[in-house]
Amino acid sequence: MADNLTLNINHVSKSFARIEKDDITNALADVDLHFHSKEFVSLVGTSGCGKSTILRLIAGLITPTSGSLDISGTPITKPGPDRGMVFQKPTLFPWLTVKKNVEFSLKMQNRLNGNEELVDRMLRLIHLEAFKDDYPGQLSGGMAQRVALVRSLISNPEILLMDEPLGALDAFTRMAMQDEILDIWQKSRQLVVMVTHDIDEAIYMGTKVVIMDANPGRIRAEIPIELTYPRNRSSSLFVEYRNQILEMMELGVKE
Amino acid sequence: MNTSEKNVTLNTNNSSQVPGSHLTRDALFELEQKEKTTAQKALDWFISLCPLLCCGIALMEYILIPDKYANKNPERYAVLLLIPAAVYLIFWIRAFLLYRKGKRQYFRDIRHRAPLYSVIYLLLTALDSLTLKTGLLLYPFIPWVNDIINAAILDWPMLLKSTVFTLRLLFLGYFGGVLAGLITGVACGYSRRIRYWIDPVIKVLGPIPTATWIPLIMLLATSLLAGSVFIVGLGTWFAVTVATMTGISNVDQSFYEAAKTLGTSERQLIFRIAIPYAMPSILQGMTQGMSSACISLMIAEMVGVEAGLGWYITWAKAWAAYNKMFAAIVVICIVFNFVTRVLDLVKGRILRWQIGVVK
Repeated sequence: MADNLTLNINHVSKSFARIEKDDITNALADVDLHFHSKEFVSLVGTSGCGKSTILRLIAGLITPTSGSLDISGTPITKPGPDRGMVFQKPTLFPWLTVKKNVEFSLKMQNRLNGNEELVDRMLRLIHLEAFKDDYPGQLSGGMAQRVALVRSLISNPEILLMDEPLGALDAFTRMAMQDEILDIWQKSRQLVVMVTHDIDEAIYMGTKVVIMDANPGRIRAEIPIELTYPRNRSSSLFVEYRNQILEMMELGVKE
Repeated sequence: MNTSEKNVTLNTNNSSQVPGSHLTRDALFELEQKEKTTAQKALDWFISLCPLLCCGIALMEYILIPDKYANKNPERYAVLLLIPAAVYLIFWIRAFLLYRKGKRQYFRDIRHRAPLYSVIYLLLTALDSLTLKTGLLLYPFIPWVNDIINAAILDWPMLLKSTVFTLRLLFLGYFGGVLAGLITGVACGYSRRIRYWIDPVIKVLGPIPTATWIPLIMLLATSLLAGSVFIVGLGTWFAVTVATMTGISNVDQSFYEAAKTLGTSERQLIFRIAIPYAMPSILQGMTQGMSSACISLMIAEMVGVEAGLGWYITWAKAWAAYNKMFAAIVVICIVFNFVTRVLDLVKGRILRWQIGVVK
């Protein structure tokens, strides 16, 4: 099932009522997107264009004002472990050890028994076996984000949503983690939707880059990236893609 | 260009000279401290021996100066003075031996505590000379220590019974209050509708000290025990409710969201996210609740309940048995200190994850 699902975002609009004055009003207008498993979609756009809103709609944390979302025909009504989400902040539970954080999802679904080996494998995957009994407060930003990643992956989600997962990391950790995430995705082949501010990152990682416009948030373009992995950031094709996307985004600013 | 190259070589040189990982934490501490002069070191050793010296002073004062009043079983106070000093001596010898092996942490520890212990001995000396030796502090209102010890030993069955009664009341009231406070606090923190109804109750009744209710409750309660448990629990309930409510309504929304995408049910959100997140606040409320429980307990026992240490104090005072009164006060001090200590230990254990998180 996970091998060939389709995520349909059918003419979705979303409006927010302002609650406090420092709350940002995010809005989406008639967003129509269709993604398939094995895709790695990068969502880019200026801030306030509703990138995160799309992810939260897919996760089921919020409901659309109009339009609908479904996975191969099954409507999305509430959050579930079939759609894992990684936030910009690691949001690890500080009162649980690294290991307990990783196995949290399994435990909540009473599937922990018999899956202890899976927990160990996840910790090995991110090279943090040595830290399994530490509390998240003792981890560095990159380590914490890696734990957050496998915490979502352990339930083997059909769709992995990432909201600027590497945004808070330094350049070195960021590049290393881009490769780590790609590695994991290439093995599992689920659908990944990642929001990012970084155009290089979008091109380096995505099979498809979706460019968004702000006020109200809408889709400007979908650009398939036809480069083989691992990609070379300084290859002429890569640079061409970058120029193309930058050009499109700059046009968006002028309007 | 030239300078930058020079810098580079300097840097590599430095890194190779940095003492390696063979340094222990202790050795590093020594290394970073300013070297003490011989005189300072001698002074440190002298201060570390001061408690023994002051114990000697207290003993000499007690034995050599003639008593103004009759003092039965005089050896008891002397033993009381000697026991802590003997324990201290054992620790001092241990610290001395470890110091010679290069482990100086233990000595620093002892040196740190020594001035306080010395002052305690000096205060005891002063008390003894002001009471037993000269009678400057009016006898019998303020008795000397040996008199208090004699009273405690003479009346120990009654004191023990009172202590047991007080502890029973404290625990029934306290844990009843904590449990009730947790339930209302979680419910109010999580459900806006319940909060709508409980909030006014807390706002109106909260500022009224629990002791105010004692006469009314003593009148209404079906049994003395039930009434006093209620009084002790009321303040605890209030403190724990408010703390839990605050803790839970402050839960970072992103934790709820993360948990929901990990497949957490509504019930699990409460028990796996909200309560653990609010734990520091809840424990804070429990500590506050303990002091509130101790206060209302003492008042309740002094006013209405005819048993327990609080009652014992008023009873002893009524019979002008001031030495017994002081004995009870000392027992209360020990009991409440012990209870607070245990609570702190539990707190430290539960909040282990906070180390390094909270600054």
